[in-house]
Amino acid sequence: MSHSTVTKSPPETGPSKTWTSTGRNKVTSTDALRVVILVTSALLALIPIVWLVLGSFKTPAELSERPPTLLPESWGLSNYTEAMTRFDFASYLANSVIVTLAATLLTLAINSMAAYALAKYNFRGKNALFLLTLATIMIPLQVILLPVYQVVASLGMVNTLWGLIIPAAATPTGVFILRQYMLSIPDELIEAARVDGAGEFRIFFRIVLPMCRPALAVVAILSIMWRWNDFLWPLVVAQSEAVYTLPVALARFTAEETVPFNLIIAMSVVTVLPVIILFLFFQRQIVTGIANTGIK
Amino acid sequence: MTAVQTAPHLQQRKAPLKMRLVPYLFLLPNMAIFGLFTIWPAINGFNISMYSSSNGRTFRWEGAGNYQRILTDADFWGIVGNTVVYALSFVLLSVVLGVMLAVLVDQQRRGRTFFRSVFFIPVLISPVVAGLVWNWMLERQNGVVNSFLGSFGIAEIPWLVDNTLAMLVVIGVGTWMQVGFYMLILLAGLQSIDPSVYEAAKIDGASRWQQFISLTFPLLQPSILVVVVLATIHGFQAFDFIYTLTGGGPVGATTLIVQFIYENGFVSPIRYGVASAGSVLLFCAIFGLTIVNWMIGRKREAA
Amino acid sequence: MAKKSRIAAGLLVAISAVAMLGACAPGQVEGQGSGAAPSAVQSVDPAEFAGKTMNYVYFTDGPDAEATAQLISAFEEKYKVTVNLETLPYKDLVTSVQARLSGGNAPDVVRLTGLTDFRADLLDLRGYLGEGYAEEFLPGPVVGATGSDGKMLAVPSDLTLNGPFVNVDMFKKAGVSLPDPEKPWTWDEMIEAATEVQKATGSQYAFAMDKSGHRLSTVLNQYGTALVAEGKSALDAEKAKQALTPLIEMMGDNRMPRDFWLGSGSRYSGANEIFIAQDAPVYLSGNWQVGQFAKNATFEWAAAPNPCADNCGGFPGGKYMAALQEGKNPALAAEFIRFMNTAENQETFIKAGGFLPTRKDLAEKGVTYPARQADMDVFLKDLERTPELGYAANSDPAFVGSATELVNAVSDVVAGKKDLSTAVSDLQESTQALVEELQQ
Repeated sequence: MSHSTVTKSPPETGPSKTWTSTGRNKVTSTDALRVVILVTSALLALIPIVWLVLGSFKTPAELSERPPTLLPESWGLSNYTEAMTRFDFASYLANSVIVTLAATLLTLAINSMAAYALAKYNFRGKNALFLLTLATIMIPLQVILLPVYQVVASLGMVNTLWGLIIPAAATPTGVFILRQYMLSIPDELIEAARVDGAGEFRIFFRIVLPMCRPALAVVAILSIMWRWNDFLWPLVVAQSEAVYTLPVALARFTAEETVPFNLIIAMSVVTVLPVIILFLFFQRQIVTGIANTGIK
Repeated sequence: MTAVQTAPHLQQRKAPLKMRLVPYLFLLPNMAIFGLFTIWPAINGFNISMYSSSNGRTFRWEGAGNYQRILTDADFWGIVGNTVVYALSFVLLSVVLGVMLAVLVDQQRRGRTFFRSVFFIPVLISPVVAGLVWNWMLERQNGVVNSFLGSFGIAEIPWLVDNTLAMLVVIGVGTWMQVGFYMLILLAGLQSIDPSVYEAAKIDGASRWQQFISLTFPLLQPSILVVVVLATIHGFQAFDFIYTLTGGGPVGATTLIVQFIYENGFVSPIRYGVASAGSVLLFCAIFGLTIVNWMIGRKREAA
Repeated sequence: MAKKSRIAAGLLVAISAVAMLGACAPGQVEGQGSGAAPSAVQSVDPAEFAGKTMNYVYFTDGPDAEATAQLISAFEEKYKVTVNLETLPYKDLVTSVQARLSGGNAPDVVRLTGLTDFRADLLDLRGYLGEGYAEEFLPGPVVGATGSDGKMLAVPSDLTLNGPFVNVDMFKKAGVSLPDPEKPWTWDEMIEAATEVQKATGSQYAFAMDKSGHRLSTVLNQYGTALVAEGKSALDAEKAKQALTPLIEMMGDNRMPRDFWLGSGSRYSGANEIFIAQDAPVYLSGNWQVGQFAKNATFEWAAAPNPCADNCGGFPGGKYMAALQEGKNPALAAEFIRFMNTAENQETFIKAGGFLPTRKDLAEKGVTYPARQADMDVFLKDLERTPELGYAANSDPAFVGSATELVNAVSDVVAGKKDLSTAVSDLQESTQALVEELQQ
């Protein structure tokens, strides 16, 4: 007798445990093949990053060796210290952190509000506005760089951290994801709250938003990734070292006449690891969140 | 997209004024920032496409001149060809690999959490760094990939200097960077399929493969549609990682349209008008494709 | 279906709105420009500067940054001002400054490698530094700093020169004699020597060169031609073919790294790693590598004289300091530029960065560098041999664009896409088109 599980839990594959057999312990060839494929793919996903980290400990001479050595000779942090002393690392790091956190909070707030309107209300211009939102995903920054700068300048936000935080906060993808998720929230809950006399914003804040935690987690990690890696915009808006972010430092190294590859690798690791670590902490939430944006 | 239900959503006509304003108020902050920092500059950009300028401050009227110049440039059509090849391959590969990985992860019990997350990690890497690492690894003589293959006796492969191989590498790396995201969407779609659906098929003696083709795949359509839409948009905008990976080479074999826009807008001799015109063309192409995708998807759903 | 017609209506409104906007020019339409800078020399009392602030947009190649910071401190102390040093990545400098100009936020002084992108925005420094100021500098670099009507749009702050480096250890091992700085070798001699050393030592390549139109122009120059001159396409097809053939041949049999040339598209790429890994005994680059090699090379190396063909000498590059008209304090900006380029200060700067002097007095008396004097002397000597046409070409507005085309042309031939004759004639055409476009 097989136990069929309902909805969200995955279908059991392979022979299930019946009271007459322990069939579950048999490993079939399909199982083995599947594991091989998955592990190989996982390696493919991870190896470049591992290689990057290993390389960050190698000296320039080691890096130019042929064939390339696997492990560094020493785990000294010289590349890191040299890279970080070439510029005011602490300041750049602080800016990156501040901008990323503030922008993400702002993004979560305004994206969820906009998504709520688009998902749960019926009003004139709704579809047009949604289409407009979708359309703005398709505009790469390079294209509108100068006009955006002019707007920011006329608002006096140049060379300020606000100039880095605000313009990028209205992410269309964030709205898209949150809206998809909110569509699946039962309207009855909202209606019931209305009947109980709750104000619209209260409903949004107390009822809907807490239910959206997975989607919020997704938008959060995406926003963190985008703002942390943002390079072109901070470069143009920031005018003094006091406002630069980490990617600008990386770009500076890459643009030097004699490119210090070992420093670039170290800086790359510094820009890559924090986001990955953050993701690993909040994996569960994030993965569930993405999971619920695809359906319907 | 499900059909919008009129009840129990708030009916606009029946609601008092204060209520009618509520959705607009919710939308306001987001749309204000959009309007100010994306839409208005985009309209400006469209405007600029009809002028020529080398410094963004003084302009000369060109009318359709920039468009004419672009559309009659043989190199441009080569770039369009590259972009189409890349985008189509990227979408196809994303869907195929995404579905495959989703199915495998779904069936895997041991270490499922690990596998779910590990593919998402490349998604988090900055595209510039991704291009940098792969460029380094695929170097013909010193790169670790060829050294590794060399230990099996395989001759050095010119990954980045052969036209076709370079394009394949670009498609591969691009997919590597994104497939984890799409896999999660598809995985969710998979997990929302009611397993009892398979019971009937199993009783009929359908093989796993047949089950997949006739049941799983069709039921995954909504998720696949989302992936196709997002991947199309993403594929047409590919630039950052390609620029660090191949620089658009060799001899322009991997130059895509956003690189064309970038070089006209940021590299001497600067031609803002041409860059803007290119962007308008790109935008129309993506927008058109998205609408086509969406309509095909909705027809399929309705069928 | 009401929804569809509403969407259609919305789209129509949007399109017509955009079309109406098209009637408004996005900025200043050409022909309506504002007036030029004053030409009478303004003398400003230095005490007036006290308490003011200025912005200096800068890019660095590494070792020069400290010297700049030191000089700035000295300036700040002398005049009681604040100078904000903003260091940007080189390739994004133009974008950033243009954005600032369009936002009304112009910096006061900018360090540039060429004036093309900002020609119309630069301050005529004669108004503050006097008509005779240009005389203090070598004529070649001044060419690039001069605008129409003899305006002095910038001050050349340092000079770089292209030239080859040799791996002395490898030459010794192969028993090949090193070139004599007094009697430079010819191109044929250099290639022969490089090939011999490659054979004898088994190194991977014989010759390496940065992938750059600027470096290629060195070769063109030595064969007596250049991409542009006097605002016109000036490439002599025959001479160009003569110049490029040895390079293409070497890449054909991998005496020169072919992969390196094709591997990074149209981006600049430096081959210094190849030289440092001792994969090539001869490397054509420029004097800015001296500092880096001194630090990282694990072998004996030296700068070699430029090979001669029709001409000797190298191809110049260099940086300028310029003031922007839109800057808030032109007088202070001009004074800053003057200060940074006095004999004493320029000497400090170029010593730290390993650059060559642009001032006549420094070039005449010679400069003592903290290290590798012999190598810098080789460059200084080559400076004297460098023909005028290099300076003119380098400062032409069309140079950067045509240099990129030159790189693409060579890549096309190396990849087998075109043959050399076609590539050269295509290059002439595209250079001419570029020149015409930029003159409008």
